Amino acid sequence: MPESGASRRRALRAMLTVAVLAVIAPFTNLVRFFYREETGSSPRQRIANISELKPGSSIFFSYPKTGDPKIDGDPFRQWMLVMTNDGKLRAYSRVCVHLWCLPIYVPDRSELMCPCHGSIYRDDDGVAIAGPAAFQPYPTNALPMMVIEVDEKGDIYATGVVDGRIGLGREWRVRRPDDNVRRV
Amino acid sequence: MSAPRYKTFKEAVDALIKWTVERLERTPFAAFKFTFPKQYISPYGYLGTLTAIVFLVLGVSGAILMFYYSPSVDLAFSSVREIQDSVPFGFVMRQVHYHASNFMVLLAVFHLYYQYFSGRYKIKNEVLWVTGIILGILTVLEAYTGYNLILNQRAMLAINIGMGLTFSAPVLGPTVAPILMGGGYFDLIVRFYALHVFIIPLLMLLLLAVHVPRALIIDMPMIVGVLGAIFVVAGMFPAEIGIRFDPSKGLVEVPEWYLTSIYAFLRTGSERFWSGALLPLLFAIFFLIVPFVDKSKKLSWRDRPFFAAMGIASIVMIIVTTVWGFYVDFSQRTVFDQLYVEPVIYYSSFGIMTLASFFVTYRYLVKPRGKPAPAKPVVLTPGAGLAAVAVTMALVIVFGYLAVLTYAQNMPNISMFHMGMSLILLGMMLHFYRHTSQTTAKPR
Repeated sequence: MPESGASRRRALRAMLTVAVLAVIAPFTNLVRFFYREETGSSPRQRIANISELKPGSSIFFSYPKTGDPKIDGDPFRQWMLVMTNDGKLRAYSRVCVHLWCLPIYVPDRSELMCPCHGSIYRDDDGVAIAGPAAFQPYPTNALPMMVIEVDEKGDIYATGVVDGRIGLGREWRVRRPDDNVRRV
Repeated sequence: MSAPRYKTFKEAVDALIKWTVERLERTPFAAFKFTFPKQYISPYGYLGTLTAIVFLVLGVSGAILMFYYSPSVDLAFSSVREIQDSVPFGFVMRQVHYHASNFMVLLAVFHLYYQYFSGRYKIKNEVLWVTGIILGILTVLEAYTGYNLILNQRAMLAINIGMGLTFSAPVLGPTVAPILMGGGYFDLIVRFYALHVFIIPLLMLLLLAVHVPRALIIDMPMIVGVLGAIFVVAGMFPAEIGIRFDPSKGLVEVPEWYLTSIYAFLRTGSERFWSGALLPLLFAIFFLIVPFVDKSKKLSWRDRPFFAAMGIASIVMIIVTTVWGFYVDFSQRTVFDQLYVEPVIYYSSFGIMTLASFFVTYRYLVKPRGKPAPAKPVVLTPGAGLAAVAVTMALVIVFGYLAVLTYAQNMPNISMFHMGMSLILLGMMLHFYRHTSQTTAKPR
């Protein structure tokens, strides 16, 4: 019967397709190979004691710290703990959202300034107010922040929770900068 | 079993060659038809072969550079400096590799435009054409990953722009970019290295297997001449190492010349992905689809004014955007103002250039002209030919001697210039040689 012959061939093809897909499916997990997953680094990392900071000062730290200078020196692990002139604590990613140079803190002007193309960020919320970074559309015009915790002894800890994406920006209209500082 | 006897050594060699060629007929080599021209022919027709030869030079010089280069974020720059300054002949190897990359990009662009204007993407050549465009894009990516391996300030600018563009791509960007970045620059440098020395060249070789036509012209004088030109240019404009990458210091840098056009787009301050990736992509898309849009039977560009004008407009735009990308207004105070490109002027200039190209093409270029008189070949008398061979041979020896002398005196760039001159003269000598062997050929 030609009719059932055709349907039998269709069934054979369908079974072969299912089998091939079943073989391929587990292999799609291999894509994880391309993404480096952080291991062995504790998310909670002590940065400094609050007594080491005075208004209008900053401390650089690398997070997550591994002890390997080659990795710890990577720009994407560079952070800056800032105490603004009016005493607010902020932990910003140092990677400029324009072209990934490393800005510095200029306390006299209450600003963070990028050395490469002159992007200027406000020190109390990390939003770009001048230079090329300020031209970029929301939310790619603000420095990412690290959520920090300050305990009763005054020790400041990086929690590993990043508000934003390093080198790319932060949704600064969604979350207030003060929410990224917790007293514990 | 008696061994075949040959009267002369030449007979034995000829027999060996014949034996080998007959056996090669069982291999894919038999599919190729190699032509070794007996006289000068225009190099426009075999620019692709020249590009492939330069690709070969890059493969050899690059493989040798791997002996000393360290793809490590803390050693990359110093290892390149070691190659350039301390490794014997390292200067020459690096300069050859660098300048051959420029030649390859340039030859590929010339190859593209010659094939474009002569309508070669027709006549069943669509697959050759499309693979050629993809090869061209891969060539630029290969050059891009290559000059980033030095990890100097210029490399960091290119890496940061490239990764920023990838990140800002809609939907896929944040997924794809970490594949290139890994955990940071210490991963990125290894991944770019793998891409540069293996993955992209492998893709190019695979595509080349489809792209290469079966009839190939191997013109030794021109090939030797192009190799010489690489050395001469390298000797005259040796590539610098630059300054080691330091993200805490600012420097005005301009990327390599084949990327300054994209750099100019980015400097207009408009949205990054839109200006830096989508607009240049329109170029690639235009060339990819042109064989499927231009369905006329005409080949010559004079008979296809619209596509001739489009081609000319694209050349003008490449030149203008490339030059604009190099332009830095140092009279401005801040780096940002020095690099800023006024978008209204920039983008409106594209419209003007396109209109002007169409006007010039339709008004002046495509007008039918009388048939050009066939070029009269220059024929040297056997005596003059012999003299030309002798003179070029003498000059080859002189420049070869000067190359050795200047290298011994620690002037590697001047030595490279002399090496290049002797190669170019060898190319000329080969041409005189074949010409004179033709004019003095025994009548049969």
